[in-house]
Amino acid sequence: VIESPRHAAPVPHCAARRRLLAGAIAALLAGAAIGTANAQATETQVKAAYLYKFLAFVEWPLQTFTRPDSPIVIGVLGGQAISEELALLTAGRQVEGRPVQVRRLSSDTVPADVHVLFVGADAADRLGKLAAASKDRPLLIVSESQEGLLHGGAINFVLAEDRVRFEVALQPIESRGLRVSARLLAVAHRVKANPL
Amino acid sequence: MNRMTPGCWIGARRFHRCGAVPLSVASRGRLGLLISLAAAALPAMAQSLADLSLEELATIQITSVSRRPESLSDAAASIYVITADAIRRSGATSLPQALRLAPNLQVAQVDASQYAISARGFNNAIGNKLLVLIDGRTVYTPFFSGVFWDQQDVMLEDVDRIEVISGPGSTLWGANAVNGVINVITRPARLTQGTRVAADAGTDVHHLAVRAGGAFGDGAHWRLYAKHRHWRHTESQAGASLADGGQHSQAGFRAGWSSGTDLLVLQGDVYDGRSDRRGSAAQPFPAVEWSGANLLARWTRTSADGSNWRVQGYVDRARRDDAFLYRPEIDIADFEFQNGLSGERHKVLWGGGVRHARDRIRPGLIFGFHPERRSMRWANLFVQDAIALTPDLALTVGLKLEHNGFTGLETLPSARLAWKLADRGLLWAALSRAVRAPARLDRDISLPPQPPFIIAGGPDFDSELAHVAEVGWRSQTSPAWTWSATLFHHRWDRLRSGELPPNAQVRNQIEGSTSGFEAWSAWQPVAAWRLSGGFTVLHKRLRLESGSRDPEGPRSLGNDPRLQATVRATFQPAAQHEVELGVRRIGELPDPVVPAYTAVDLRWGWQVRPAIGVALAAFNLLDAGHVEFGAAGRSVQPRHAQLQVRATW
Repeated sequence: VIESPRHAAPVPHCAARRRLLAGAIAALLAGAAIGTANAQATETQVKAAYLYKFLAFVEWPLQTFTRPDSPIVIGVLGGQAISEELALLTAGRQVEGRPVQVRRLSSDTVPADVHVLFVGADAADRLGKLAAASKDRPLLIVSESQEGLLHGGAINFVLAEDRVRFEVALQPIESRGLRVSARLLAVAHRVKANPL
Repeated sequence: MNRMTPGCWIGARRFHRCGAVPLSVASRGRLGLLISLAAAALPAMAQSLADLSLEELATIQITSVSRRPESLSDAAASIYVITADAIRRSGATSLPQALRLAPNLQVAQVDASQYAISARGFNNAIGNKLLVLIDGRTVYTPFFSGVFWDQQDVMLEDVDRIEVISGPGSTLWGANAVNGVINVITRPARLTQGTRVAADAGTDVHHLAVRAGGAFGDGAHWRLYAKHRHWRHTESQAGASLADGGQHSQAGFRAGWSSGTDLLVLQGDVYDGRSDRRGSAAQPFPAVEWSGANLLARWTRTSADGSNWRVQGYVDRARRDDAFLYRPEIDIADFEFQNGLSGERHKVLWGGGVRHARDRIRPGLIFGFHPERRSMRWANLFVQDAIALTPDLALTVGLKLEHNGFTGLETLPSARLAWKLADRGLLWAALSRAVRAPARLDRDISLPPQPPFIIAGGPDFDSELAHVAEVGWRSQTSPAWTWSATLFHHRWDRLRSGELPPNAQVRNQIEGSTSGFEAWSAWQPVAAWRLSGGFTVLHKRLRLESGSRDPEGPRSLGNDPRLQATVRATFQPAAQHEVELGVRRIGELPDPVVPAYTAVDLRWGWQVRPAIGVALAAFNLLDAGHVEFGAAGRSVQPRHAQLQVRATW
């Protein structure tokens, strides 16, 4: 149904980010024109795909992984449908040579070896507490609630014109020692320096 | 798997050194609904989605099985969606103000709190061809088929979106959705957690709203809100106070329980408001007072096979005490259900409903209703089938049968054809038959309340009838540039007319047509800059039927501009700042003449802290005041400003 992408976007250095942004919009237009125009999926599927895709655009501090092939662990709190979709989608896939593990979390503590925390809408009320408790750890928190960024999320899913988009807050990314790719920011629906 | 090209890595500090900050202007943000789908759904699709790039994921259109089977962007109708972001950026603090953002609506402020709102013409303060819903509850007043806009309020901060459909929506929504449907949709309780305060202090309007949200446990959420609004009176062109200032207080709640396939929503509101005291010191006249309450329950079930059920019931009580015009009290009970079924090529939606209203309309100085009390009942059944003729061509045919106590059975059919042009958008065409069923105002009204009458009801008044043809074309794929254009033609029969007094009766002796064009577009060339705009052109050809003894003619059916146009520009000069400029040009209203005017609104928003935002909004910035509607002694809409504070924790 969906053809593979045909626009590799070689990204220059920082100074050319404006151009990159324009390029990304063009790529986005091109992508839409090429063949995804009629592509449809459920919200759950698209969010799961994003969660997997984000991994390649985020850099954790060197000491985070013990070995070059240590797995990247996505912890999921709430959002059961998305976690099941994500497990299905990441089975057998690797990112930069690392296998991807999906782990359902039930308690209010995030295990030390979790790298990405996804908090589903049904657990949104626990987001703030979790974010505060894991404050200085290199943890990428992704949410899907109205005030997700405000409560400590770094990336938050939003719906715009029947499409799933995401917004990014830079402050929690920087303070946790993470780095994100400019390409991710270029695709973001909006980027905020501060959470709100 | 697509190889990533991560390029330059950005932590926030380095990011700032880089200079340009690509802060997007939150273009069409809309908050997500989590659809709890069975995980087994389409595993092959899930696998292939993982092979798409980030950019491509952003273009995937999502289908929502819990909503009506057709997604909005596929609908063969003229639809504009006002997003929560757009409302915030505009600085609107009331529902009618927010509706000004829809280019396919005509919004004219009549006085300090009353509005005339319509689509495709026939605009007046008792406009009766538009159906307005707030979270599934019809808010038009059945005794005149129109909306008291000063009586309808929502916590604007919790609105998810407002869907505005211009043109008939009668097959799904029933009689009165002749010229359009306004669907105000608030967020589910689980998306409004925490405390939010919105406070506005202004030269003319003060407003305070507070909401608190929380959870009962797994999958159960609630919110409570309360708000108060206070507005200053306006003045006539001669400078006399119009005693139209007033205040409105409202409180409400919403609770939601979701468990995988089932969703239960319970919500309600109570409100109370009053205008200033009218008349003069020598001859005082009491204030207009209104109050009301409503309670709604809705249950939705979505099955793994894509079928869904929706059952909804509500009760609504409203009272308005206007010693000058009339004093209605109305109790409404409404029940409806619908069932959506998805097959390989067919998507069927069918359902029905009953509605019962019991009212008492005591006379004012000017009007009376005979009989004073009446009970009325409406019932309907509808079915609609969306047939995929080819992967790109969809035909939707539908029929609604609606029964009312005045005219019996009304038939409301429609046929819509949508053709997806790969990368060139969606081309659509529609044919509909719509009716505006008689209201108490048409049948039972008298002027004055006691004989001898000038107007003596309309015992023979029949439904007003419209046959509508529409053709539209709109973009579908690119989030950076969206547009829509619609041509329409409405043929009218049996429109409301009058007679020479005394004992004039309300008749159906105006006919003719209205036709026009509505178009809008939004363009976001770079993240920090967004431009949007739209316009409508309307041409009315209405005439009295031969034999009519109506001295007024079509002029009493609304006062509409030939042309109106709006442009909005949003600019984000720095990370925490956003500026929006809105300009609207409304053409001259012909009868009575209201001169054309241009209004400029400006809002500057500053996110002081993550949880605190401050904005300065100025309305009618460039003119000292203008008239938007009305005849002699009409209200001038002044320049006014507001300091707006939003806090969340």
